[in-house]
Amino acid sequence: MSATKAGGKSAAKAAPRKAPKKASKRAPGLKDLDALVVGGGSFGTTIASLLAENDKRVALWVRRGEQAREINREHTNERYLTGFTLPAKVLATTDLESAVRAAPIVIVAIPTKSFREVTKSVGDYIQGDQVLVHATKGLEVDTFKRMSELLREETCCRKIGVVSGPNLAVEIMRGHPAGAVLASRYQEVIERVQGLFAGGRMRMYGGRDVIGTELGGAFKNIIALATGVSDGMGFGDNTKSLLMTRGLSEMVRFGVALGANILTFGGLAGIGDLMATCASPLSRNYRVGQGLAAGDRLDDIIERLGQVAEGVPTAAAVHSQAIDLGLDMPIVRVVHGMLYEGHTSTQALKDLMTIPVGDELAALRSD
Amino acid sequence: MDDRDKERAVVEVTHRVMDTYARDPRKVEQALFDTLYEERLRLRTEKDKDEVKSLVPYYKKIYSRARKASAGEQRELLGELINHFALEVSGHFDPRVYAVATRMMPTALTGLLNTMSPLKFLQGLPRGFDSMDDQLILQGEIEAFKDLAGKGTVVLVATHQSHLDSVMLGWALYRLGLPPFTYGAGMNLFSSKLLGFFMHNLGAYKVDRRKKAALYKDVLKTYAGCSIELGYHNMFFPGGTRTRSGAVERKLKMGLLGMGLDAYIHNLRAKRENPDVFVVPCTINYELVLEAETLIDDYLKEVGKGRYIITDDEFSKPRVVLDFVRKLFSLNSPIHLTVSRPMDVFGNMLDEEGNSIDQEGRVIDRRRYVYRNGRPAFDRQRDMEYTEELAEAIVDAFHRDTVIKATNLVSSAVFNLVREKNPETDLYKLLRTGGPDNSVVLPDTYRRIEATLRSLRRLADRGRIRLDKTVSRGDTVLMMGEALAHFQSFHQHPAMVRHGDRLYHEDRNLIYYYRNRLTGFGMKEVEAGP
Repeated sequence: MSATKAGGKSAAKAAPRKAPKKASKRAPGLKDLDALVVGGGSFGTTIASLLAENDKRVALWVRRGEQAREINREHTNERYLTGFTLPAKVLATTDLESAVRAAPIVIVAIPTKSFREVTKSVGDYIQGDQVLVHATKGLEVDTFKRMSELLREETCCRKIGVVSGPNLAVEIMRGHPAGAVLASRYQEVIERVQGLFAGGRMRMYGGRDVIGTELGGAFKNIIALATGVSDGMGFGDNTKSLLMTRGLSEMVRFGVALGANILTFGGLAGIGDLMATCASPLSRNYRVGQGLAAGDRLDDIIERLGQVAEGVPTAAAVHSQAIDLGLDMPIVRVVHGMLYEGHTSTQALKDLMTIPVGDELAALRSD
Repeated sequence: MDDRDKERAVVEVTHRVMDTYARDPRKVEQALFDTLYEERLRLRTEKDKDEVKSLVPYYKKIYSRARKASAGEQRELLGELINHFALEVSGHFDPRVYAVATRMMPTALTGLLNTMSPLKFLQGLPRGFDSMDDQLILQGEIEAFKDLAGKGTVVLVATHQSHLDSVMLGWALYRLGLPPFTYGAGMNLFSSKLLGFFMHNLGAYKVDRRKKAALYKDVLKTYAGCSIELGYHNMFFPGGTRTRSGAVERKLKMGLLGMGLDAYIHNLRAKRENPDVFVVPCTINYELVLEAETLIDDYLKEVGKGRYIITDDEFSKPRVVLDFVRKLFSLNSPIHLTVSRPMDVFGNMLDEEGNSIDQEGRVIDRRRYVYRNGRPAFDRQRDMEYTEELAEAIVDAFHRDTVIKATNLVSSAVFNLVREKNPETDLYKLLRTGGPDNSVVLPDTYRRIEATLRSLRRLADRGRIRLDKTVSRGDTVLMMGEALAHFQSFHQHPAMVRHGDRLYHEDRNLIYYYRNRLTGFGMKEVEAGP
């Protein structure tokens, strides 16, 4: 994969552009796959590209035929990864049934809003010996369920896992090295997914804490929104660091209350992801925060972004759950205020700065 | 189990248990000497002189051989010990009793029974056999349960509050016309003819809980697995022991539970014609629990530590059992035995045909859960996780099919009032002393009952719990009357008594015990502390 129109120098080999082929509804080659990626957004396409680059037979399921044709003919996905050429081996398809039946490992990368619906369709075809993993960082707003819970509810699969970590799609597409954690109750899932990425640019670590890995990935988006606001207001690194550290503290308290292992938040799915997302203008959530600081309306910001910023619905879900759990989470509260209660960034800052201060680590101590 | 199957089981058990150790000589050596140590230690205080006389020289001989043995010889000695245990376990399974028990009501056994025979026991009840039928309400997925028993091997897993549970299950199987289920019962349950009768009706084999050696436990577990594989329906209490606190089981013992899956994989690999193993959860709920006093006492004494085996509780005194059952019957107090929806060994629900279905109701091919490269295969870590998921499904079923009684609800209301009056007192002191005021006001209790009942009804409407007739009716005065009548009927000290407009909490441990049945359902009215 390479950057052909934007994104600076490429560290990866440029994929040769092949002569456009006529895309059929049932794409050829949909058998004996190594993996299927469900979802042709930026991260789904990035995962498929990584696997193809790693010489795996990979299919990418997308909803729209037009998008499938673009990927198969032009080897681009302009809407989500502007300016990048995808490896020619990425085989896009709209035929979910054939793709699911042909893939021993299915990786779902679908926004939370439509995650349940798409997963339910996957569930029509998938079987118990297949591995089902997701790479979606967020929670279902209405039910507060994690994505792995939706996979469990909507399919017969048990060998379920989650991929999470500091994985800004654009950086990966530029050919930069990256790492992530694959968490699952099942060692087989860890080993098989690690096998897909082995030897490539993505270092896939294993973990058993599914809850912590999912909550870390979802929660950091809220903190990224807050740091976006902070940067947008012209504050510097001290403020950003304050928000990130206190945000991490909220993430840990929230996660542990829901059964996560505290150590997970010190890993790639916790602080690792937090650092990448909160400091990078490539992060969609960070950009939403910047927009809010500029006084823009949320709807306008989202429209301008053209993609989903998971921190927006996740802030609503986490805020409501924190109240139920009796947890005081000031950063989540002010982000929620800005997103859903019309609070300004100045008001949010004032709220945060007037909270009484006490022992920094009091909430984390068990003694 | 017929003699041929018994022999097959012993061979298989010996072989399989041996396989888990044989590859590593250090493991063999450790298992061998640990077992000998545990057994010799046990025999030092064993009261059964015959056993001591026969086993001490036996173990001594093995020990002296083991000390000088090569790795290969140690393996042989370990095999001998495993075989010895396997024969012992299978030897207690008496095919004659099993055969007799499968017939109609075994009047032929009458002559064999002592003064507390089941017949006399039943004659001692107001209306004999009919009483039992009136009192034991069989409900839930009865037909599905019966159907499955003809389609595959059934593993019946039940909640466990009292030793009477085994009696109730034995009776239920008999009434449903099902053959006895194989059941690993503690030896103490065979001590009287009364209990022995019901144990045998369950097709029980004796489990010697005095034996602490891990090897013996491996043999027991593997024996259960082999019996499932050979098509013998099994029954066990996955909580491992009677619930001490009174709460519905949340943590289950994985070892025995996993044997259903183990048998299923063995069956698939052997391409058996009828490989399926089904799991049927079942709850048993009483208004009064025979051993409540002993159990809660043990819970409070030993909370956070290992439990000891209670050998001399209320159940070991047949007269007390009879008295208890008579009182339950005279109070017209139904015992609910609720059969939950059957599931496969992975915790998926089954449809009417016995197919596994997912949460969307789609039929799934359950065999593929254990496939690796297109073939059924064992995978220790995967199978442990599958069993964990099965346990989660069973715990869920246990909760959904728990039947809440008036004694539970009234106890919960009184306990909360006492706790609220003494917010600073820790639980143990509160249970011991009750605080400065030894009573609560009746109207407050009624209000509290109503509040908890509202939550219970919401749960019941969502199918998360069941309510018995009195509770469901919602008449708090009636509920109070029923609970008080029960509390005053049997326990040494009534949990509470009413004088005028006040309720005096006499035995708070009992109140706590009966109230604990409502915990674990996420009800704020129950779980919230002061």
